[in-house]
Amino acid sequence: MRPLTPRRILATCGLLAAVLFVVVVISLRTGAYPISVREIVLTLFQGARGRKDEVPPEFWLVVFGLRLPRIALGILVGAALSVAGAGFQALLRNPLADPYVLGVSSGAALGAIVSLVAAPHVVGAIQLAAFAGAAATIMAVYFLGRRGGQLDSATLLLAGIVAASFLSAIIIFLITTLNTQDLRGMAYWLMGDLSSPAPTTNISQWLLFLFSVLAVAAGVMYATSSDLNLILTGEEEARHLGVNVRRVKVVVYVAASALTGLAVSVSGAIGYVGLLVPHVMRMMFGTDYRLLIPASAVGGAIAIVAADTLARTVVAPTELPVGAMTALAGAPVFIYLMRRSVR
Amino acid sequence: MNPAAGSSAPMQQRIHAANPEPPARLKVEQVSYAYAATDRSAPEFTLGPVSFQAQPREIVAILGPNASGKSTLLRLLAGLVKPLSGRVEIDGAEASGLHLRTRAQRIALVQQESELLFRLRVWEYVLQGRYPYGRRLRFESPEDCLLAANALSQVAADPLRDRWMHQLSGGEKQRVILARALAQQPALLLLDEPTQHLDIGGKVELLRRLRRLADDNGHSVIVVTHELNLAAEFSDRILLLHGGKCLRVGSPAEVYEPEILETVFGAPLEVEMRPNGRPRAILRGNY
Amino acid sequence: MYLRPYAGSAARAVMALALGAGAAAGPGAFAARQAPPLAAATRSVTDEIGRRVTVPSDVKRIVSLAPNLTEILYALGLDSKLVGDTDYCDVPAAAKTKPHVGSVLAPNLEAIVALHPDVILAVANSGNRKETVEALDHTGLAVYAIDPRTVRDVLASIEHIAALAGAQQQGEELAARLQARLDAVQARVKELPPAHALFVVWDEPLITIGHNTLIADALRWAGAESVIVSQQSWPQISFEEVLRLQPDYLIFANDHSDSGSTPLADLRARPAWKELRAVELGRVVTVSEEITRPSPGLIDVIEELARAVHPEAFGEAEEKRASCAR
Repeated sequence: MRPLTPRRILATCGLLAAVLFVVVVISLRTGAYPISVREIVLTLFQGARGRKDEVPPEFWLVVFGLRLPRIALGILVGAALSVAGAGFQALLRNPLADPYVLGVSSGAALGAIVSLVAAPHVVGAIQLAAFAGAAATIMAVYFLGRRGGQLDSATLLLAGIVAASFLSAIIIFLITTLNTQDLRGMAYWLMGDLSSPAPTTNISQWLLFLFSVLAVAAGVMYATSSDLNLILTGEEEARHLGVNVRRVKVVVYVAASALTGLAVSVSGAIGYVGLLVPHVMRMMFGTDYRLLIPASAVGGAIAIVAADTLARTVVAPTELPVGAMTALAGAPVFIYLMRRSVR
Repeated sequence: MNPAAGSSAPMQQRIHAANPEPPARLKVEQVSYAYAATDRSAPEFTLGPVSFQAQPREIVAILGPNASGKSTLLRLLAGLVKPLSGRVEIDGAEASGLHLRTRAQRIALVQQESELLFRLRVWEYVLQGRYPYGRRLRFESPEDCLLAANALSQVAADPLRDRWMHQLSGGEKQRVILARALAQQPALLLLDEPTQHLDIGGKVELLRRLRRLADDNGHSVIVVTHELNLAAEFSDRILLLHGGKCLRVGSPAEVYEPEILETVFGAPLEVEMRPNGRPRAILRGNY
Repeated sequence: MYLRPYAGSAARAVMALALGAGAAAGPGAFAARQAPPLAAATRSVTDEIGRRVTVPSDVKRIVSLAPNLTEILYALGLDSKLVGDTDYCDVPAAAKTKPHVGSVLAPNLEAIVALHPDVILAVANSGNRKETVEALDHTGLAVYAIDPRTVRDVLASIEHIAALAGAQQQGEELAARLQARLDAVQARVKELPPAHALFVVWDEPLITIGHNTLIADALRWAGAESVIVSQQSWPQISFEEVLRLQPDYLIFANDHSDSGSTPLADLRARPAWKELRAVELGRVVTVSEEITRPSPGLIDVIEELARAVHPEAFGEAEEKRASCAR
């Protein structure tokens, strides 16, 4: 009997973080601009010392303006989607749940389209409108998904699927009837794309804000991980053991939806990651959510940064949207997992 | 408390009830409950009023045919629902008013288990019984592990420790579920139709085990069942329910009268007294 | 986890590597590969979508993000200043040899930065994405976007680009020449009733052009008129509508497919399409895909199209059917 200890969690996450570090290094080295590893390291070094003037402006631009923000965004989105996926799989008692099954991404997409049509040149409008669309969907599905005053897994799933279909229908209607302004950008957004520019020029501040939201939402969900372990053996049983099942469900729902909304507003609907990373982490490290949540976060970051690096290189100089890469790689992984049938 | 008799492991200790004093006691006073299909229609089913008490080391059987309100009464005893009138008190505190985790430290409810979503080892499952103690986000202490290990050995499930839950047989799984309940160190142990899927050997083994656990650990055990003879053989007191009404409370010999049993169970029954003072119900005549 | 003992040593190795690399850095260790210094004199212009852009007074290095922009630069004789274009810039053929920066929708930002452009040309509205322009803004590079909606806009854009690149005179001359050709076409077809045509963007589903598109405007210059009037840019219509309207001409844009048969023969073999009068009479016109490009080549297409739908105005026999691209 070897119960989970904080030490083991830290060791596992440390190991995963080391893998992430390697992936980040490879990603930093990847790009069309000719800059050597040494020059990258020097730029980072001088940047850490605050000596921007000692770095050639183009190097600074490439490292801190182009590559690092994209990598940071990839880490953020990967962590957010994977933790959200793990949360939804427990909440909906369904191993096939992914962060988009409750319609959050459709709501965000609708918000983005409306903003593209209504305010096409306002900087940052897309992200804000996408998040607003996500939030509205989250609230609507919450109220639809209740039964007997509390969230019911089956009802929630149905409500989410209905919401997703309905919103997708509206999106299709809008796309075909509106005078298409610049809706081709939507195709990239819908597939999931990390190259969307930041809404402000102060990128580090924006990233700090995003990571704060990630930390809060993921932290809130992590606080319920002991509860989730029990709920996974049965809601009634968990109740008998003293878990406030009703409250935990609401907390997990809000936290997971917020994480999904965050990821989708920033980079569109990148698929497969929220579904598969928790499963792979389960296979490797077990089903205890106290370990699964942080492991999924780091695992998701690895997955997205790796996928984005590949997306930037396979058909260089053209860049594939990262969602295309996760779909290409995700489908075989999904089939493999299905055949091993995690039970 | 009995000394550790017949135990093989040197470190084994008995699982005491978490509150050794005052003696664990269940007091049910005039408890009634009713539910209807919708809020506005007349009650479809009424339970009660029911009154009885249970002492430490006592096994009380709630006996009755299907749809007599047994499971509802059990949920009332577990504090999951608040009675419409009357009180359910455990150690002097009203059961439904207790904080969730405190209640789980006092009362353990054993039911048929839901389907597990992901793989889980037996020891992980039993360790979950320690959840009510400590913080919400917690990591198990060595004491938790010891208690869980003891719980497993008390149900003779030691060898199953590292097995996967979904690979267990029905009887093995039930022992493990019982072990998880024991890990809660409850004062009150509630079981809802625990003998349902067991063969006769399994039923007897389970009830014998409950008897031993009650004696060794000091639990009050409440068992909901419709098994006439097992209840008579193993319980200290019987509460007979029929259509939501509590017809009798008392020792098996007091409760088992042929006419009442026939009314309740709708079968021609005779009662025979056995040498150990416990009654036995037999089907009468040609049917 | 059995890998736990290795986690510690792995972490230590990685840290050593990072520190070592940092230690190898001395002050001023960035070698001679500095970026070229910024141009001394700059000026501020407003592009066609209202953005203020700061460009050097003497623009020497231009990156084009769309095929029509590349064409315009070549037509203006500015191809020596073109340092990078997209994978799809194919007119003229020499453009294919320029360094590529990716596709129109997803150009590679680093590749663009590596070329040190003085200005980057983009096309709004069915050209480059606004995300691309925004991202380039963040890098501090100058992006000038054109937004031509009509044929006259195209000529204006040519002049704007020429002025931007310090070739104002060539721009005016080119625009004047193109305008003269357009006027010549108009002179021939102005008095004639416009030819009722259906421009087929895609056959299944059947998609045509809207009233306010560049292609519709080009059709009008060529003396043709789309039978479908729609406010949408790419309206999808039912085949029944076409059957009801019975346009005089069907116009397709050549997609360079190497199928042996002509579009007319294909249509005559298809069950519904062969019922159209235009197909029966052989009035199926294929123009080059330049019709979709806001570039000088558009004028060539307008001339071709005018010849095809008003052959009598150009002194040609009525029997001229499909005119293929160059």
